Amino acid sequence: MSATGKEIKTVSAADQSFWANVKRQFRKNKLAVYSLRFIYVLIFIAVFADFIANEKPIACKYNDNVYFPLLKSYSVDFGLSNWQPEFQNVTWKDLEYEWVVFPPVPYLPKNIDAYNSQSVSPFAEQEVKSTRWKHWLGTDELGHDILSAMIHGTRISLQVGLISQGIAALIGILLGAMAGYFGDDRLKMSRGRLILNVIALFLAFFYGFGSRSYILGDAIGISFGKFFVELLISFALMAVIFAVANLLAVGLKVIPFFRQKVNIAVDIIVSRMIEIMVSIPTLFLIIAIVAIAKPSIILVMAIIGMTTWTGIARFIRAELLKVRNLEFIESAHALGFSEMRTLFRHAIPNALSPVLIAIAFGIAAAILIESTLSFLGIGVPAETLTWGSVLSAARQSPTAWWLAIFPGFAIFLTVTVYNLVGEGLTDALDPRQKK
Amino acid sequence: MLQYLLKRLLIFIPTIIVISLLMFILSANAPGDPVELMLNKNSGNDGQSSQKLSTEKAYNELRHKLGFDLPLFYFSFSNSTSSDTLHKIPKKAHRENLERLASNYGNWSNVAAYYNTLRDYENSVFAIASNDSSAIALNGIKERINDLYKTYEEAKVAIYFSDIEKIYSSAPDLAVSAASFQKTKDAYATMQKNQNTYAKYIPAIHIYGFENQYHRWLFGTSPWFFGEEKPGDNYGFLRKDFGISYQDKRPVWSVLKDALRWTVMLSTISIFLAYILAIPIGVMSAIKKGTLQERATTTTLFILYSLPSFWIATILIIYFCGGDYLDWFPAFGLGTLPPDAPFTDRFMETAYHLILPIFCLSYGSLAYISRQMRGGMLNVIGQDYIRTARAKGLEDKKVVWKHAFRNSLLPILTLFANIFPAAISGSFVIEFIFSIPGMGMTTLQAINARNYPIVFTAVMFTAILTLIGTLVADMLYAAVDPRISYSNKK
Repeated sequence: MSATGKEIKTVSAADQSFWANVKRQFRKNKLAVYSLRFIYVLIFIAVFADFIANEKPIACKYNDNVYFPLLKSYSVDFGLSNWQPEFQNVTWKDLEYEWVVFPPVPYLPKNIDAYNSQSVSPFAEQEVKSTRWKHWLGTDELGHDILSAMIHGTRISLQVGLISQGIAALIGILLGAMAGYFGDDRLKMSRGRLILNVIALFLAFFYGFGSRSYILGDAIGISFGKFFVELLISFALMAVIFAVANLLAVGLKVIPFFRQKVNIAVDIIVSRMIEIMVSIPTLFLIIAIVAIAKPSIILVMAIIGMTTWTGIARFIRAELLKVRNLEFIESAHALGFSEMRTLFRHAIPNALSPVLIAIAFGIAAAILIESTLSFLGIGVPAETLTWGSVLSAARQSPTAWWLAIFPGFAIFLTVTVYNLVGEGLTDALDPRQKK
Repeated sequence: MLQYLLKRLLIFIPTIIVISLLMFILSANAPGDPVELMLNKNSGNDGQSSQKLSTEKAYNELRHKLGFDLPLFYFSFSNSTSSDTLHKIPKKAHRENLERLASNYGNWSNVAAYYNTLRDYENSVFAIASNDSSAIALNGIKERINDLYKTYEEAKVAIYFSDIEKIYSSAPDLAVSAASFQKTKDAYATMQKNQNTYAKYIPAIHIYGFENQYHRWLFGTSPWFFGEEKPGDNYGFLRKDFGISYQDKRPVWSVLKDALRWTVMLSTISIFLAYILAIPIGVMSAIKKGTLQERATTTTLFILYSLPSFWIATILIIYFCGGDYLDWFPAFGLGTLPPDAPFTDRFMETAYHLILPIFCLSYGSLAYISRQMRGGMLNVIGQDYIRTARAKGLEDKKVVWKHAFRNSLLPILTLFANIFPAAISGSFVIEFIFSIPGMGMTTLQAINARNYPIVFTAVMFTAILTLIGTLVADMLYAAVDPRISYSNKK
């Protein structure tokens, strides 16, 4: 179209690929491109939040020794080393260094600046040693630095977006792909295998979660890592049970009754599940669950993920309804590949692109839900400062405009940017525009 | 059409069952003992035997009245160590501890024997009349017994046992109950000795029938068609009996009735306003595509669409409701006029209080609807029949409103299905910010007060409202568009 002669020459086979085309289309939407760049910035802030805003110096010379306390804190957190005795329980900013390099924002969200409590405005006179220690975005009632809370809040909101949508994608892709690929009449199973799998489902839940409920419950009380390990063991047990059931099914085929094929209407089952999920008000369900459980950000992510998979499932179902009739799937069948291999190796990878759209919008929605929850003060532990919880502090001190403007703007910008990328992707992937 | 309606109503049933199961599971797992919460006190371990008996009696009576002595569900799927009579144990904390003990030692009859000897022991301790010299020692034993009820860890149990022994050696007056204590210790030792570690790996299904808490919660105990009502019968969720609030012991329905009215009012007004304003804005921005005015509108709408309403609400309160800035609107509540004030006064007062909340609720859907309207209009305007209409010399106004507008209106109606649930949950937050006593605020207060019956009923209500909203949207769609016929779909 607008390509010059020089560009035409350089178009190679690789540039004609589907993704090259999508990229080209996406680049035409300037707003979406800038949004994507902004997301990169957000990711950078989230990853390096500890180095941008922290109470510990990046490097310092103290008592004639050079230290790197910030890096050291990582190895201490992982249990690889311990703090030197002179650094145990110190207030880092009060130490007498020979020289010191602090991060750009020398506060952690949890630090309380007693001299600047009672919500100090960014423009007001602040009781700080020098401009280096100024609270650029002010402080809240207790004296938390808002800029630092905003930087670390970026990490939380991105985590919520990515992890919850990761869970949603896992569930949505699996169910949606099964529904779209097999439809109502293509998943056939021998009767024996079906019966064994239903039994295995019950046993898997029983051995994975029923008889391990106390172990899992105790582990969650100890640490998240321990819980995660136990959870993995539970999933492994479930996988083993299903594997055994399917192996047994092969043996059962000798009996003619069990050999008979039965049809499983996957599409009807999954579509009904989606319909039911959609009519459950997500925010209310999350609020109800979070109300009885101990506040934890992990739980919030998991619940958002488990309630928002329907969008992804719908997208991939629609895509697979098209893909399953294409030639390459037929040829996979002709080559004698098993249904599962065709589905997971050939069908799903070619239907993933619309899922990206759903994920982009999903992240925006998840971030909005999380900030709403923090704003309402449920779900997220009180000591964790997030964008939503800083914003809710503005309700207690209505004169502190900075508590409302900055976190609200951050939520708005992040949500908008993800929505814009989602719209850009929709346009770029829309076949009507490709010509 | 009728067939489709019936089909849709049929889908209601599994949906409501799933939501009700979810809510029921959640309420069963909610922390705290509901009976104790309603009695508003921990049935303590101090005091005299008669006092203990009376609290226990009150506890058991209330428990029976509310049906908490029934099994949870029609059946249970658990391991073979669990007993089908566990639900008869009164205290929730005790029940949970016994379940865990059974799972650890794998032999229910031994666990039950231990529990019974512990109870006997407790009774024998409470039977001792305390005098001044032994009161402290007696209370010490009572405390340990109370701890024993809630402990499954062997090390801790051993500590409590040795504590009690120490108290006995220091206070000889209490020796009357020592034999009973010995029995408890023996029962514990027997339970430890006869362990069956594998029992918890054997699945077991218990079937309880219709006499269970879920059935009672959903259908109630009073007969549906025939038979006589007994006093104290409840009607169940399906007949508008949603249980009793823990705090003030009012029926949940009477608490939520007013709240529901406010929420439904807020969301309908805001949706109505959004539609009324969005349609002309959308149409105008489609017709004037490319002009500066249009671009400004579109950008504003996009920004409005992504502005989180709780942020805008907070900012509006800071800048327009007193504080350091303008004092134009009231920040909280619905006004303080007495209910016998003239209707017009009350109406004006309420309307004045609702301006900001309704603005916060409607601008989001306003932006959403007008964006969709614009898209729909643009689509239609590009069609051949519009060109034909223009070509045959119809005036512009007629082309736009009679031909283009009518045909692009349809998709807007279906948006109702998306907007309605959003408005309901949006009003949740807005009500909280502006302190309007709707469903959202009531639910949040209930969460903070751990008043679970209200929380779960409110969620059920919202789910049902959402279902109805979606259904209405689909029906509207079919009613408006003659091309859509749900009856012969194939």
